[in-house]
Amino acid sequence: MSKITVENVSYVYSGGTPFEMAALNDVSFEIKENCITGIIGHTGSGKSTLVQMFNGLLRPSSGRILLDGRDIWENPKEISSIRYRVGLVMQYPEYQLFEETVEADIAFGPKNMGLSEDEIAERVRESASFVGLSESDLKKSPFDLSGGQKRRAAIAGIMAMRPEVLVLDEPSAGLDPAGKNTIFDGIKKYAESTGSAVVIVSHSMDDMAKYCEDIIVMSHSRVAMKGKRNEIFCRGDELEEIGLGVPQITLLMRLLCEQGVNISQDIYTVDDAEKALSELFGGAR
Amino acid sequence: MKSVAFGQYYPSNSVMHRLDPRVKIVIGIFYIVASFLCKNVLSFALLTVSALVLILVSKIPVKIVLKSIKAIIFIMIFTAILNIFWTKGPEENLILHWNFINIYVDGIYNAVFIAVRIISMIIGTSIFLTYTTTPIELTDGLERLLYPLTFIKVPVHEFAMMMTIALRFIPTIIEETEKIMSAQKARGADFTNGSLSKRAKALIPVLIPLFVSAFRRAGELATAMTCRCYRGGNGRTRLKVLKTTYRDYLALFFIAVFGAAIVLLNIYAPGYTM
Repeated sequence: MSKITVENVSYVYSGGTPFEMAALNDVSFEIKENCITGIIGHTGSGKSTLVQMFNGLLRPSSGRILLDGRDIWENPKEISSIRYRVGLVMQYPEYQLFEETVEADIAFGPKNMGLSEDEIAERVRESASFVGLSESDLKKSPFDLSGGQKRRAAIAGIMAMRPEVLVLDEPSAGLDPAGKNTIFDGIKKYAESTGSAVVIVSHSMDDMAKYCEDIIVMSHSRVAMKGKRNEIFCRGDELEEIGLGVPQITLLMRLLCEQGVNISQDIYTVDDAEKALSELFGGAR
Repeated sequence: MKSVAFGQYYPSNSVMHRLDPRVKIVIGIFYIVASFLCKNVLSFALLTVSALVLILVSKIPVKIVLKSIKAIIFIMIFTAILNIFWTKGPEENLILHWNFINIYVDGIYNAVFIAVRIISMIIGTSIFLTYTTTPIELTDGLERLLYPLTFIKVPVHEFAMMMTIALRFIPTIIEETEKIMSAQKARGADFTNGSLSKRAKALIPVLIPLFVSAFRRAGELATAMTCRCYRGGNGRTRLKVLKTTYRDYLALFFIAVFGAAIVLLNIYAPGYTM
């Protein structure tokens, strides 16, 4: 079942002026339910523009965005209700924190939805636990947290709205590997426990390979490829042409293969590589 | 929202763009003075022609110039109406009399003259100072022009640097504002509906992060400048040294001739005098 359908969407910045620039050009694809989808592409390939259309922050110049089969712009006055159903975590979301405590900041979204106090408190606890923020963190000022914690607090702020689709634009940009893992694990937990669709935008092939089932590759304002993870990463040469390449571990397996080691080339995660290698060596340690 | 940024600089490579900013500032001031010297039909006609010549020479599309005039059209119409109804002339110039309303030919002349003066002034100054000069050039020129003030201990360099930094960060902060507003909208913030106090309150989630990041940016910039050994204006040399060429002297010559012509036309030409 498709959750979000993007139909022939184009978007032009500053239309009608000398500075006119196409950010998206006839883009079509589907985001499936109960599935983590990755959108990958270069800086300037149009991915950030694209995600801002999912929740109606930007309106397509042409084409339609369907949520559960209904055009989200069917009734422009109710676009804010779409924003509760499609939660968008923008790039560097830690700069949007403003409340006195982390708890209050996470509660901002649910409060705008008009939920009851109890419901809000429960959702704040739940989303804080997804991203691994402790009870004592919740009482702190968001400005006293570390960079990684701030990021997690901001993501929890969106999760607390319990959106049916959680969209994250570069959630791991500028974080260390540990911080990255905590965030991706949190996203995974959210997806599993709520059954929501998740869309992750990134330019890191390794993150995509590890967490995403479906992948959409953007290049020069267009969809270059779309499909299951294996279908995408087996087209390594094309990906390199776009300038993206394959995950590091896949590259390593390929190099081994070229050196005459009999190993599969369709390995995209470290876990799979470990399995294949230990099989190769007869399970000997 | 981008239109708020007054970086109205219009990139091109006209003669006007290549003039020394100091010269452009001086000419700009001179042009305003000249527009106030105009007194009769002929001198105002010259002023109009000069404004048209400026547009042609600077190669700025008329459409863009008209946009800047649009902003002041209300003030213009307002002053014109005031002039038509409130100017009193000699009895023989009365052309309309109805109840307490008296309209004289003088009033109509005045209204037209003042409209022409305002339009020319806007066209002139915006062409000299905003369309053809980048804000950075402008502050550079200003710093050099005000240099003599350093002898009476005015921190001219510091003021110019502050202005440059402020101008540099306007687009950045506008972009930041848009980003934060989008982020809060994604969390259900509503900036357009509700009562005034409600909408003002809705801005808190935007203003706090904006201030925090402005201070953060300022701190980072200060560190970056210190790392590059910035220590104020003393003994500082420039990457781009402002140099006047024959073009600049020619421009100064033209504006002098223009000023003289207006004064002469005021003296000799006949007709209505303001």
